[in-house]
Amino acid sequence: MSFLESKPGVALMEGDNLARHYSVGGGLGKQTATVKALDGVSFSLEARKTLAVVGESGCGKSTLGRQLTLIEKPSSGALKINGAAVGNLSEKDAKLFRRTVQMIFQNPYGSLNPRKKVGQILEEPVLLNMDRLGRKERQERVRDTMAKVGLRPEFYGRYPHMFSGGQRQRIAIARALILEPKVIVADEPVSALDVSVQAQVLNLMMDLQDEMNVAYVFISHDLSVVRHIADDVMVMYLGRVAEKGPTEDLFNRPLHPYTRALLASAPKIDPTQRVKSEPLTGELPSPINPPSGCAFHKRCPFATEHCAQVRPELRVFDGREVACHRVEEIS
Amino acid sequence: MNTSPNPATSTDQDDAALQELEASIVAKPPSPLAEFWHYFRQNRGALAGLIIVAIVVFLAVFAQVVAPHDPIIQDRSAIQMPPAWQEGGKMEYLLGTDAVGRDMVSRLIYGAQLSVFIGLFVVIISVVFGVTLGLSAGYFRGWVEIGIMRVMDIMLSIPSLVLALAIVTILGPSLINAMLAIAIVQLPHYVRLTRASVISELNKEYVTASQIAGAGALRQMFVNILPNCAAPLIVQGTLGISNAILDAAALGFLGLGAQAPTPEWGSMLANAREFVGSAWWIVTFPGLCILITVLAFNLMGDGLRDALDPKMKR
Amino acid sequence: MALLEVKNLTVEFGSENNPFRAVDSVSYSVDRGEVLGIVGESGSGKSVSSLALMGLIDYPGRVTADSLTFDGQDLLRMPARQRRKITGKDIAMIFQDPMSALNPCYTVEAQIMEALKVHEGGNKRQRRERTLDLLNQVGIPDPKSRMTAYPHQLSGGMSQRIVIAMAIACNPRLLVADEPTTALDVTIQAQIIDLLLKLQADSDMALILITHDLALVSEAADRIQVMYAGQLFESGPADGLFAAPRHPYTQALLEALPERSEGHDRLRTIPGVVPGAHDRPDGCLLAPRCRYATDKCVAQQPLVEDYYGRDVRCFYPLDDNGQPTGRTA
Repeated sequence: MSFLESKPGVALMEGDNLARHYSVGGGLGKQTATVKALDGVSFSLEARKTLAVVGESGCGKSTLGRQLTLIEKPSSGALKINGAAVGNLSEKDAKLFRRTVQMIFQNPYGSLNPRKKVGQILEEPVLLNMDRLGRKERQERVRDTMAKVGLRPEFYGRYPHMFSGGQRQRIAIARALILEPKVIVADEPVSALDVSVQAQVLNLMMDLQDEMNVAYVFISHDLSVVRHIADDVMVMYLGRVAEKGPTEDLFNRPLHPYTRALLASAPKIDPTQRVKSEPLTGELPSPINPPSGCAFHKRCPFATEHCAQVRPELRVFDGREVACHRVEEIS
Repeated sequence: MNTSPNPATSTDQDDAALQELEASIVAKPPSPLAEFWHYFRQNRGALAGLIIVAIVVFLAVFAQVVAPHDPIIQDRSAIQMPPAWQEGGKMEYLLGTDAVGRDMVSRLIYGAQLSVFIGLFVVIISVVFGVTLGLSAGYFRGWVEIGIMRVMDIMLSIPSLVLALAIVTILGPSLINAMLAIAIVQLPHYVRLTRASVISELNKEYVTASQIAGAGALRQMFVNILPNCAAPLIVQGTLGISNAILDAAALGFLGLGAQAPTPEWGSMLANAREFVGSAWWIVTFPGLCILITVLAFNLMGDGLRDALDPKMKR
Repeated sequence: MALLEVKNLTVEFGSENNPFRAVDSVSYSVDRGEVLGIVGESGSGKSVSSLALMGLIDYPGRVTADSLTFDGQDLLRMPARQRRKITGKDIAMIFQDPMSALNPCYTVEAQIMEALKVHEGGNKRQRRERTLDLLNQVGIPDPKSRMTAYPHQLSGGMSQRIVIAMAIACNPRLLVADEPTTALDVTIQAQIIDLLLKLQADSDMALILITHDLALVSEAADRIQVMYAGQLFESGPADGLFAAPRHPYTQALLEALPERSEGHDRLRTIPGVVPGAHDRPDGCLLAPRCRYATDKCVAQQPLVEDYYGRDVRCFYPLDDNGQPTGRTA
């Protein structure tokens, strides 16, 4: 199959207008409504790079993660690996896909099966996807991976509840890593951890990236973590991309009013970095009934009549992509 | 320990220190079994239940060795003999004999064998089928679930003994048919319980993680999810044994279960009810046996629930 | 005199002979109109200490203190009924998860009016007016229509506003906010913190803000208290506390923050984990994880001492350059 071979000039992973719609409601005498949890998101990810997806809850970033790992099939749009679209995969191709894309979850307490030993948890992906390995080779692979993420070999026979949050996240990372994937989708991997443990896990993820050449799709709401780890950032609002660009540019000079508001809302330790601005008023609108025009216009200080009527498309401005009508004036 | 600053700047050293420290911490929590025993032991009633259950199981297993007489052979010279401590009793027949001169002790011991067999058989049958149906309903949702659950709802809307009677009437009265009937009657409880826990487990990330690892439906259902639903099923199963014994006794009492001369507690009770006034022991002891055994299983089940349910733990 | 004065508050769990100290001799005071920030990682005892203050530690937990005075009244030595009158009216508390702090079976109006009824009395119309008033005060748009809403119809931010409205219903003089914004998004967090600070300033109320977020506490608090494994490690005015930490733990925490790093450099970590119930060190609780630890730190527990206007629990408090002082090499 072609999608394991990288081709020059073709991105490792590409999302092409990915959309995911859910129908809600129904039931007795109610009309079904469509929630556009993800509404036309495109991106590309190069090997060994980290793309961060940021936004508030309900912006569709976790839904995006579910499409990228094929837990759910996108309603429309295509996911491409090395230029080849992955749609309906045969069982053989599905195995190849799983060896290419893996995932780390937010909650290290829920993502490990409490009735399985660490060794069994780590062995499952190998057992299911690498048919040619015998029992001994499998176990060897598990032990190698455990060593890579800093887990001691004697943890092999222990249950997840015996570990602290940070250790569990190491186990989860090992599980994602054991098939030596090219891409790891990490959905809020450190947000359940304490500051000091968070630093350990972030360091580990960066070390592994250098060592194993893995690319990350790093889904997070924590801007300081994103700034630290990401090469590119994609800011999402209500299922659509608001702004996308290289990390440093985006943090130093945010263009989209929503990006600005996000950056201004995050508390900062250094008093000199604090920007005194009016906090955003209002809350994320309901995705069942999104506002007309720009989804952000009701909370945006720069909104005009035009913004309320016409939805801005993502366009290139100053070396990155922004979905705002007034970016020229407000930048 | 050194008195100069630790030059702990390299991540290597940090990691080494960290691992040492965490290794010492990680060993602390007790194994699940030890933890279970710790909580179970605190419940006196459950412990008593466990002991009685152990005795009953012991008697059942070694009935042939323990019982002093054959439960079916009639001693014409000792009809309706009272227990040994009463006037006219003999040490040979410790709890007396019944209307046709069979030793009560032996019949009760063989009855235990039968009761334990009934309980286990019924529970195994209904757990196996109930769990499979419940897992399918909870895992696949949609039409599979609607189909399975509506049938179970219909079964639950009929009084259980009436349903069991109907099934036995169709199959014909025998002990095996009675057990099958009871197993069918108990089925909906296991289906519902399994389905509910499967649905709550299904939302957990470890299931999604296994899905990403490529686990198919059967592996997800039986290898990944089922062990996490085991605790309530164990409890329900234990309580189910006592229910099965009780229902079998009821069917036996009505003449639809074990047939004479099988020493089954329920039918012993039924056949002896005319002697309530004249020979109390023939009626009392099978009744007491049912009562004590069922109580013991219930106490043990309660203890299991307390010990296995994390919400009940302090 | 301080509004709240806590001296050597200790909370223990577990058996008498092998107790686990969740909070270990913590002393602090809060003045009228002051914002005290309590910051620490999980297991630091920051939440337990405030639960103890509210009298919400149940058996088998044991609360002891040299004194626990609120507005001159000794909370520890008063009858339980009298204490309940103070906590709830004069001291109010809000929790991390606004969704579970509201009863899903009752409307917003019913819940706020219930709180008013218990502590304020008044007839139904007055209470309803006051409820409307409160919802306005906490910045709920269109409060009239929200009065009849049930909690599940509200977003997290709105629910937290309702919880705050209930907490300030009786004009408390001290509000304890335990991770009030952890479950919320950043833009909503900014709104809620602004609201809390505005309410606090308007009514000269004291506010104890408990959080794990160093940046949040440094922006919001007047004074900050850093806790670790149940002990107070450092406390002092918010100004400069994070610019020049005196305790090695504070310093290490700050260095572990991604925002302190340059580019893609690795973060400096604190090795190990917070000691649990079974593995508390004999000496300084940080000693196994501290990069400056000496034999003395391992053997002996340091006491809280004043160091240039800060309370620091360390034998070798840090100087302005972040180097430990007073250590004999």
